[in-house]
Amino acid sequence: MSKKPKGFFYLLALLPFLVLVVFYEIIPLLTVVFRSFISETGSITLDNYIAIFSKRLYRQAVVNSIILSAVSTLVGIIIAFFGAKAAHGSTQKLRNFFMGILNMTSNFAGLPLAFSYIILMGNVGVLVVFGKQFGIGFLADFNLYSLNGLILTYIYFQIPLATLLLIPVMDGLRPEWKEVVNLMSGSNLDYWFRVAVPNILPSVLGTTSVLFANAIAAYATAYALLQNNYSLLPIRISEQFVGDLVQRKEFGSALAVILMVLMILASLISNGISKRRKGERA
Amino acid sequence: MSYIRFENINKSFGSNHVLRGINLDINKGQLVTLLGPSGCGKSTLLRILAGLETPASGRVILDDEDITNMDPRFRNVGMVFQQYSLFPNMTVSENIAFGLKLQKKTSISDIKKYTAEVIEMVELKGKEKAYPAQLSGGQQQRVALARSIIMKPKVLLLDEPLSAVDAKLRKALQFQIREIQKRLGITLIFVTHDQDEAMIMSDVIHLFSEGKIEQSGHPIEMYTTPKTRFAAGFIGHYNILNPDEFSTITGEHSPDGFDLAIRPETVEISAEPQSPGMNAYQLTAVVVGFIPHGNVLRYTVKIAGILLQIDVLFRSFKLFEPGQTVYLTIEKRNCLAVQSSEA
Amino acid sequence: MKKNKLNKVIIAAICIYLVLPLLLTFVYSIFSEWKSVLPEGPTLKFYVHLFSDTGFLLPILRTFIISVVPVIICTILILLAMYVITVHLPWLDKYMQILCTIPYAIQGIILAIGVLSLYSGLPEPLSNRIVMLILTYCIVVLPYLYRGIKNSLNSINAALLLETAQVLGSSRFHAFFAIIVPNIVPGISVSVMLSVSILFGDFVIVNIIAGSYYTTAQIYLYRLLFESGQTSSAVVCILFALTLLMTNGALSLYSRLNKKLLVEKEE
Repeated sequence: MSKKPKGFFYLLALLPFLVLVVFYEIIPLLTVVFRSFISETGSITLDNYIAIFSKRLYRQAVVNSIILSAVSTLVGIIIAFFGAKAAHGSTQKLRNFFMGILNMTSNFAGLPLAFSYIILMGNVGVLVVFGKQFGIGFLADFNLYSLNGLILTYIYFQIPLATLLLIPVMDGLRPEWKEVVNLMSGSNLDYWFRVAVPNILPSVLGTTSVLFANAIAAYATAYALLQNNYSLLPIRISEQFVGDLVQRKEFGSALAVILMVLMILASLISNGISKRRKGERA
Repeated sequence: MSYIRFENINKSFGSNHVLRGINLDINKGQLVTLLGPSGCGKSTLLRILAGLETPASGRVILDDEDITNMDPRFRNVGMVFQQYSLFPNMTVSENIAFGLKLQKKTSISDIKKYTAEVIEMVELKGKEKAYPAQLSGGQQQRVALARSIIMKPKVLLLDEPLSAVDAKLRKALQFQIREIQKRLGITLIFVTHDQDEAMIMSDVIHLFSEGKIEQSGHPIEMYTTPKTRFAAGFIGHYNILNPDEFSTITGEHSPDGFDLAIRPETVEISAEPQSPGMNAYQLTAVVVGFIPHGNVLRYTVKIAGILLQIDVLFRSFKLFEPGQTVYLTIEKRNCLAVQSSEA
Repeated sequence: MKKNKLNKVIIAAICIYLVLPLLLTFVYSIFSEWKSVLPEGPTLKFYVHLFSDTGFLLPILRTFIISVVPVIICTILILLAMYVITVHLPWLDKYMQILCTIPYAIQGIILAIGVLSLYSGLPEPLSNRIVMLILTYCIVVLPYLYRGIKNSLNSINAALLLETAQVLGSSRFHAFFAIIVPNIVPGISVSVMLSVSILFGDFVIVNIIAGSYYTTAQIYLYRLLFESGQTSSAVVCILFALTLLMTNGALSLYSRLNKKLLVEKEE
């Protein structure tokens, strides 16, 4: 006869994972947060945060990051919405082909993407030269190394991600719903605004916050195009820790906390909107 | 001492008191069915015997050994689950041989021999190298059965094994399971909510309701003499009349706290009045309708606003029409007094 | 039908927009010059040069190593943890989920500076850049691997398989690693490949933490950006092709492994 084994040996299996997570996720996170409230002399202070909002350089970084992320997210979602809608209404073959292209190009981001756009639209970029030859104004004068250029490149990597996330959401729209609306003499617009959009809104909002986080934390693309010449949060953050300038760990931590807060805020807002809509109908 | 004994088993899941002081004895070599509606605790009792749940109080004794706190893998109990649970990454042979290989007590050639024997027994010859995904539900269940049988367990536990199987296949499997059990002489406990299944397969039926055993007995006993309203409602298609209804129809009174249960096939129905004598009731009713159930015609008739069901073997072509007046003869001994639920 | 045409147009437009930069980069890499509207002088010399240059091949190798090792480590650690949670302490699962979702909020630069500022001043081996990089990468892929493993465990009904194995005489430890794990391998192969390709394309973390200490392909590319345009575009195409191979390789591996588990039923 054997009693149920009473041992805690199995907890050893949990240990390596916990060690990894504590030392390389939890503690770094906490360190960043705590450091942000400490001044260079070692006392507790809010000076770091005050500096971010009072110094133009850093205020600009926050604003630029938000604008860049918001615009690229918005445009990305709109394009993805129509793309997903088109995929939803297509044959299986076309859909699979489309998803294949999306999957393939979703891998194309960061440095390689920046470089591609330099070839395409840089100062002697192919499209720019083309524009100059044929007198197409906006191509010829396009400046890749500006906010507009950044937005263009950011939109590029938002589209595959957003579309891939929205296609299953579109699949959740039952064809019977449209049929029911039509039977009740409703138009297609009625269907979209009264039935379809409210139903997919939570998922779309969720996707929006994913895209926003993706954009605002992006580093490689901006770094490749503009190095330190354009004020963006991730760039300013990295400056405080590596590079030619003096190291300012505490200040950099505060900037990092701001970045985190912005991401969390975007997520909360989108959750809040979708919850409020659910409540309206309840 | 019986082969398996449950002593005062209690088990709760949160606030749900699933087993209330169960006392149950099971003899060796019998096929015993635990029957009851969903949530009545029968599966839980089975899992306690297997060691997958621990009772809050009480003891479990198997073959003179108290196994209440024993780890499942030492109990030598075989179990077949509702969802088959074959190991998807192994072939049929590998699944079946799994337990023996673990024990390391049997030689490889013997394992091969036993595996072949058992595959033959469940009629799956030729499927040794197939993977579970390539098998139908019925086939998977037979593999699950074989996998347990080969271990020569002290008792075989089947937890609603046929619920997920095609209706057509179910009958064949019921027969096969019963045959294997008789052939091996193995003690088998079967859990189901299907009363027909219980009737076909069992030596003994234990009817469960809300954590307690409502009634136990041989299938025929359970069918012909239910003791409570619940039992009468669960096994067979009894007409159940409360005391008021009964006295309205027959003019007689039932004992206090008891309802009356009448089996549909024990009522004789004819177009002319009969004279049955002292030991039967003669009633006049109007036919409401009928439903053909294969070889049985199920009539619904109305007496004084009360509906009764009557089953007639579909022998003659003469049917009683809706609206027709008919005469019923019910022997008094076929009106069973069963305890009401409020008792 | 008008609807179908419109759909096709939209899909075509998006596909062209997405493929154009890739295509042009490839064309750029196989011509010697592209100063006017059309390129001139087709050649493969940039590719040939790259493949014979250890200054390029070594970073590629390093990138592979640094992408694969963390994924292997992280997978093993998660499997061990999931053993404890699935078999012994299921209530821990929601905390596990939280721990594995936090990396999303600290992705990229935040995690990099967090780890760097914490460990760079400390004694070896904590301050070793490679160690920092590998362990940071483990955290980066944690959400993807966890999700893949969790979904696989759910789809094979791990709890039921464990009970079955127990009744047949197996210890829970043996059941988990001899039955559960082999059955989730096809399911996690996709997340594994996805994780490897994510690490393969990372720049921010390796630049911040390792920088000049460990030149990966991405860092090599960055250095190249300001030199030869054609060579850079060749590097871009090679890297892209490698990533594509990895993700497609994963999908075919997945379907091959799954063949025996998902074959058409015979009856």
